[in-house]
Amino acid sequence: MSRVTTTSDAGNLWVNRLRRDFRASLALLALLSLAPLVVTTPYSLGILIVSIYFALLALGWNLLAGFTGQFSLAPAAFAMLGAYTTALLDYHLKAPLAVGIPAAIIGTALLGWLLGKVVLRLKGPYLSLTTLSFAEIARVVIGNSVEFTRGDQGLNVPTLFESRVGYYYLFLAVLLSVLIVLYLLMKSRTGRFWLAIRDDATGAASRGIDVVRYKTLAFALSCAICGLAGSLYGTFSQLVSPELGLLMQTGLVISMVVIGGMGTLTGPVVGALLVYLASEWLRDFGNIQMIVFAAAVILFARFLRTGLWGLAGRRFRRQSASGKT
Amino acid sequence: MLAVDLLVNGLIFGLFYALMAVGLAMIFGVLKVVNFAHGEFYMIGSYAYVLIALKLGIPPWLALLLAALTGGALGWLVERLLMRPLYVGHGDWSIAKDEYAVVVTFGLSLLLVNLVDKIVGPYPFRGPVLIETARFQLGPVMLNGQKLIAAGVSLGLLIGLALFIKRSLWGRQIQAVAQNRLGASLAGIDATKTTSLVFVISGMMAALAGALLAPLINPGPDVGAFPAIKSYVIVVLGGMGSIWGGMAAALILGVCESFFAVYVSYAYRDAFGLILLILVLLVRPQGMFGEKGREV
Repeated sequence: MSRVTTTSDAGNLWVNRLRRDFRASLALLALLSLAPLVVTTPYSLGILIVSIYFALLALGWNLLAGFTGQFSLAPAAFAMLGAYTTALLDYHLKAPLAVGIPAAIIGTALLGWLLGKVVLRLKGPYLSLTTLSFAEIARVVIGNSVEFTRGDQGLNVPTLFESRVGYYYLFLAVLLSVLIVLYLLMKSRTGRFWLAIRDDATGAASRGIDVVRYKTLAFALSCAICGLAGSLYGTFSQLVSPELGLLMQTGLVISMVVIGGMGTLTGPVVGALLVYLASEWLRDFGNIQMIVFAAAVILFARFLRTGLWGLAGRRFRRQSASGKT
Repeated sequence: MLAVDLLVNGLIFGLFYALMAVGLAMIFGVLKVVNFAHGEFYMIGSYAYVLIALKLGIPPWLALLLAALTGGALGWLVERLLMRPLYVGHGDWSIAKDEYAVVVTFGLSLLLVNLVDKIVGPYPFRGPVLIETARFQLGPVMLNGQKLIAAGVSLGLLIGLALFIKRSLWGRQIQAVAQNRLGASLAGIDATKTTSLVFVISGMMAALAGALLAPLINPGPDVGAFPAIKSYVIVVLGGMGSIWGGMAAALILGVCESFFAVYVSYAYRDAFGLILLILVLLVRPQGMFGEKGREV
């Protein structure tokens, strides 16, 4: 959550930091691409796939909360909506996945854009409350429209292919593409504008930034990332249910980003992997994972606001640069 | 005479909502943050009541008091450990204040739910009733003893709280800090102590709501989610930080919901308040009685 001032000098600092951040995330992905050599059981591979699903949600949420300062509480709801778009198209219209998955991206992007329009003038807790209600309404409506969505029973979704390794690389490829898109955007004017809106929306508007446009754009893009992740996850697990949109899932995503490091590219990915893998490991100790993460989130927010990745970055800077912060 | 029945039952639920919402509104008043763990104060209250009464065999009325103290202690702890950095000594935090508050209270909510789930177990409990009476008919209205007693206690508490805030020195200090923290401290009010007090009262009120409802709702660890969401709706509807607005909005929501559930749709009754919340935020973000919270 460390903040960047947007003077020209500090701007270059931002690009340097972003580049370092992006390279680190690529290195991490390269490491991940070797994982199937070591991890061979389908079960463990499944865990890795789910943790990449969460990494996508974390990156999507981080775009809104970490880069643009819009504290949405609806990432899991958009994953659910994306998954349901694909599932419903298949269930009612027998649409192939080649239609269903792009439809999920476009559908959630549109919904996100609309939600962005709705919450445009709200800030801080008001925005969180509105997105929270949106998320809960979406879940209640899907859970109760039994004739249309089969309610809590969920829907079956066809799978893209059977191979787990194939799915793993598919998720990894999507993660890579999302990271590249985010990197290019954050390096461009658009990204700078988002940061400016996060740091001081009024100031940004007074310097001629079209705050409305860039906020809604951030919403649309963030929700599309979550929608895509949800849609792919649906085809992987072959079952879509309203549980995807539980508030607890959003809590998990937030804890990943806060622990990993908000407002960075590598932080959310590291956080997602760490938290999800740890949660699988902690399950053996009797389901204490959520207790540990919730406590970790509070402690990180309280004492280590830059997250793990920020901690690593600070150490790196202290070694390389002179005392400038 | 279904309508009268719905009206009375709606008002009763409105009273419980008001107990929850009033604390949330007070916290928003003094700190300008939303406590996303408010539902867990409620949950802890009902658990404290049920466990104290059932496991220790303490009479229900005393258990009710102890549950309130538990909630108050929890509120004090939360303020002392997590909320204080929002206003003491961290000048540069003012920008990130909202984020911090959302993350920390959301985290706290997850922590408490899972902690209770782990320690006490995921099964719902049935609390002991305060008064043993079967359901009875009062004119056209169907009531049971517990509901009536709980409503009476809630009404008493709300009136007491209203008098406390309006008349007592501490209550006036709370009003002053809510209006202007700096100004209040210049006038010699200990704003830190006042904020603590607000959290203690909020915790007690929410815990009491939980304890009073425990025999009616069979609390499980996630029982706080819906009352919390309802109280968000209420504080927005009544104007964030406005205690009187919150109380009025709570009664209105209670009545609207009970009519909505019967005449429109039972399955979507919980979505009703949320839709209302979004509409109010769009049309009149300052709520019915509140100050402006909208960005131009």
